[in-house]
Amino acid sequence: MKEQIQEILEEARRSIPSCVSDKDLEELRIKYLGKKSSLSDLLSKIGTVSKEERPQMGALLNKTKKEIAQLIEQKKLDLHEKTDTSRARGLDVTMPGRPLPIGAKHPLCQIWEEIEDIFINLGFEVAEGPEIESEYYNFDALNTPSGHPARNPQDTFYLKGGKLLRTQTSPMQIRVMEKFKPPIKIISTGRCYRVDKMDPSHLPVFHQVEALMVDEGITMSDLKGALDSFVKRIFTSDTRSRFRPHFFPFTEPSAEIDILCINCKGAGCKLCKKSGWLEMGGAGMVDPAVLEEVGYDPEKYTGYAFGLGIERIAMLRYGISDIRKLVTNDLRILKQFQ
Amino acid sequence: MKISYNWLNELVPTHLDIDEFCEKLTMFGLEVEEVVQPGKELDNIVVGKVISVEKHPNADKLTLCQVDVGKSEPLSIICGASNVVKDILVPVAKIGAKLGDFEIKKAKLRGVESFGMICSEKELGVSDEHSGIMIIKQDIEPGTPFADAMGMNDSIIEVEVTPNRPDLLGMIGVAREVAVMLNAEYEHPEIAFEESEVKTEDEISVIIEDSEKCPRYCARMVKGITVQPSPAWMQKKLIASGLRPINNIVDVTNYVLLEYGQPLHAFDYTKIKDKTIVVRIAKDKEKMMLLDDTELKLHSENLLIADAEHPLALAGIMGGLDSSISDNTRDVVIECAYFDPKNIRASALEYGLQTDSSYRFERGMDPNSLTEVIDRAAQLMQLTGGGEISSGVVDCYPHKIEPKILPLRVSRTNGILNVKMTADEVENYLNKFEFGTKKASDDSFEVTIPTFRPDIEREIDIIEELARCYGYNNVESHFWINRIDNKQKRTVVRLAKNHLISLGFYEVNNMSFASTEDLNALKIPENDFRRNIVELANPIGEQFSIMRSTLIPDLLKNAALNLSYKFENFKLFELNRIYLKEREDTYTEPTYLTGVIVGEFDPFYWKEKQRVTSFYDVKGVVESVLSKIHCTKNVTYKVSNQPYYTNDSAADIFLDGKTIGSCGIIKDDVLQSFEIEASVMLFDIDLSRIIPLYNEKAIRFKEIVKYPPVLRDIAVIAPSDIVIGTSAQTIKSVAPNIIKDVRLFDVYTGKQIKQGCRSLAFNITFQSETLTLTDKYVDKLFDKIVKKLSLVHQIELRQE
Repeated sequence: MKEQIQEILEEARRSIPSCVSDKDLEELRIKYLGKKSSLSDLLSKIGTVSKEERPQMGALLNKTKKEIAQLIEQKKLDLHEKTDTSRARGLDVTMPGRPLPIGAKHPLCQIWEEIEDIFINLGFEVAEGPEIESEYYNFDALNTPSGHPARNPQDTFYLKGGKLLRTQTSPMQIRVMEKFKPPIKIISTGRCYRVDKMDPSHLPVFHQVEALMVDEGITMSDLKGALDSFVKRIFTSDTRSRFRPHFFPFTEPSAEIDILCINCKGAGCKLCKKSGWLEMGGAGMVDPAVLEEVGYDPEKYTGYAFGLGIERIAMLRYGISDIRKLVTNDLRILKQFQ
Repeated sequence: MKISYNWLNELVPTHLDIDEFCEKLTMFGLEVEEVVQPGKELDNIVVGKVISVEKHPNADKLTLCQVDVGKSEPLSIICGASNVVKDILVPVAKIGAKLGDFEIKKAKLRGVESFGMICSEKELGVSDEHSGIMIIKQDIEPGTPFADAMGMNDSIIEVEVTPNRPDLLGMIGVAREVAVMLNAEYEHPEIAFEESEVKTEDEISVIIEDSEKCPRYCARMVKGITVQPSPAWMQKKLIASGLRPINNIVDVTNYVLLEYGQPLHAFDYTKIKDKTIVVRIAKDKEKMMLLDDTELKLHSENLLIADAEHPLALAGIMGGLDSSISDNTRDVVIECAYFDPKNIRASALEYGLQTDSSYRFERGMDPNSLTEVIDRAAQLMQLTGGGEISSGVVDCYPHKIEPKILPLRVSRTNGILNVKMTADEVENYLNKFEFGTKKASDDSFEVTIPTFRPDIEREIDIIEELARCYGYNNVESHFWINRIDNKQKRTVVRLAKNHLISLGFYEVNNMSFASTEDLNALKIPENDFRRNIVELANPIGEQFSIMRSTLIPDLLKNAALNLSYKFENFKLFELNRIYLKEREDTYTEPTYLTGVIVGEFDPFYWKEKQRVTSFYDVKGVVESVLSKIHCTKNVTYKVSNQPYYTNDSAADIFLDGKTIGSCGIIKDDVLQSFEIEASVMLFDIDLSRIIPLYNEKAIRFKEIVKYPPVLRDIAVIAPSDIVIGTSAQTIKSVAPNIIKDVRLFDVYTGKQIKQGCRSLAFNITFQSETLTLTDKYVDKLFDKIVKKLSLVHQIELRQE
């Protein structure tokens, strides 16, 4: 009996794959699996097999039936796939679909929006102010005395008539604090200007984001926490920062902010000039003289401020090494930022 | 929980009118859901005494009653209820009374006149009982207004008691809370009575077999009591609280339940076998018949009150039928117990029996007030039914439940709430809640939490109570966001940018500097506002000597650059400030949105011939951007005279009659000066004029019109000088409310059309918001449109 079963299986293995139509396949199904098939016949004769062999034979019969059923099922699928393709003759799914337009925001503006959203998430309000400023808001109120080198025409753009182009977004701090009582929690963003020759790391027109928080009990820890939250979000969650003592007229203590090089993670590379750290901007606790200037009680209120360059952040994020690439408006660049 | 305001005022005079009181109560944490003043609607309804009952001469089921309503002549009233008999007191709605919307009038029923109506409880809103007329069981003078007699001149305050506050399920608990709220005192009922010489413990013994499920059980006896209706004052309060008076014994248990929140049960003493009460779990499959005639098959999780042989009650949920009080009951055993809330909840749920009793036990009653409550019940039973109160309480309380003692820090309280309460204030509030206080330090107390407050488990729970006393609304609010942020501008800017990007535009970013040469290249005349330039004193170069007063030159330079990189068809925009000098030393920095379409608008598609880009492409961009930022109303377009556009291929854009920008095709010689060899379309919009008008909150849902729109096409021959915008407006003006849309779908000039004219075809949508438009009506409007077009513009209907 075992040989008979084996024979039937061999035959089925040959005949089923070579079958070409549904009709032929159905005939084969009846032949091998139908009520009058030789397999059914063998099954009915299983009683004639010796008691010891009987379970083994039964199992073999079932296994064979299963395999044949699978072969038929597979063949059925193959047959249908072929008809489908032929039916849809004329369609080439590899041809391009109707081209719909795709544009992109400028990479700088994408980063700018992202920065705004991070700070909005952290509870900051966004303040915007004029780019054409007075000396008072840009320097005097920010504790930068006349005679300070930053006020030189070698550094600051002046208009005919005496006004200037803001050199930082900090004048907005003064404008907001003049108008509103604490608590204050804002960022001010926008264009700033400094007299610089255009080179790979300088543009005379650039963008800043500056954060300011003033309330009772604001400490340097709040400054570090806000800054860390920001850099971890705009870069990666393992980004670390450090503060280096520095001088700014309107903060005391003042610091420059470095972040661990996002490229080499501190090992030292070309990007960080082997230092392991990247300079990001300035920060500090708002100088009591500034608070006094806007009529806040510096004994009651404290605050922090920090400013970062948006171009700098965009360059680090995208791996752009020449700042001028951000103002060429070359579609070969812009199209990379879809 | 229903609170009778009259009753509450007996316990703690509020000196407040009902609205003021309810407002205060809600703000204190007991939310008032509804206030019902049942007496208000019961004018002209009085108590009447039925003097005689006769059969109606012409109807089997009706009776003719003579009812004494306190006047010299009784009223003759026809009644259909079967329970009307001589000498009972009933509520009578006299002529003029109103029951809901139904006014009682003199009526003739089968030839006999009736001067009023005898009412059921349901008709008067007393209960849902409607099987017969209401029978008043108290002794009341006929003619007394029904509302007075029933104590319905009251305000019933329905409050939501949260599940953590079982102490508020009784009037005394509510009074305690109200006293804290009003900083007043409340009165406990005075409990005093004489006990007989019979000792309770000789008459009845109590055995608790499961002290976990029943930690305490108290019993007392009143012997020789008369079962009778309870006095009017008690009935009034029961009715006011939503319970129906039955007899003095049942009423007293219900009354004390309402008063203390503590459920009680009364057994007929003679039915307690062997004078023994056993608190035990049920045997498996043990049966018992409840008061409401349902038979339960019990198991070992159910707690029973039983005598030596049989169950007497399903503990804490419902009494059994066999031991219940009947009219013949003389000796009563009062049960007052504390059951484990979890067990009661499980059994009540299992048998679907939510009773006033189970509702309270499953929330947790006060185990330590049971003797006071049982004394109160005994006192009231004697008061309402006489008899003698046995001496002493049988009190089975194996393990006393002690009140919790919690520490409370004043500084912590003030710190969490940002308030400045002194230790004295805190102590005063706590004592009002009847929390015991012992000073532990200058800043802290040891607070003893009475057992009627199972909800207070931690320091923070006490702080919550103190916050309620202080008043949530007296806590300072630290609010400081949204004073400075210009969300409006951010939203408009982002919407506009995102929209342009989805149309295939790339954003560019140019520096703010320019030179006057740029303005000259655009042929901008000397008197144009863009000549009010901002000049730098120390520029870094001649080409950077001014601040740009328009974004156009930079965009054209960007176009030229990218053409040089072999891009043929592309679209760029910039959204940035321009800088203008307003007066000496004052400047403005408006935000502009400027864009160019270089070459063809549509991307190349292998399947179709390239569509030729026209002025209408750039206008389409402008229209879609403006509509994305909600700037559609009062926007109009007129032919532009800007010097940099090709003649007849540009439009100025107006908002409320003032120009806000332009769009069109750039002139060839301008393109040449920027070294551009391609066609360029431009749009240039002053966004600063639009941003202040943007209001996202203006979007309101409008109900979809139920009535179907009717669509009609109209084809006309119009003189060529009539602009399409005007003719569409004229069509709409015929019926502005019904003509919802006029859409141009064809413009044609050719042989068949006479010289100097063109054929226009519009698709018009008619739709009414109030009715389905008939063809006839639309035909009429259509004729009107034809007439008006002809009259105003000499536009004629096209004849096929």
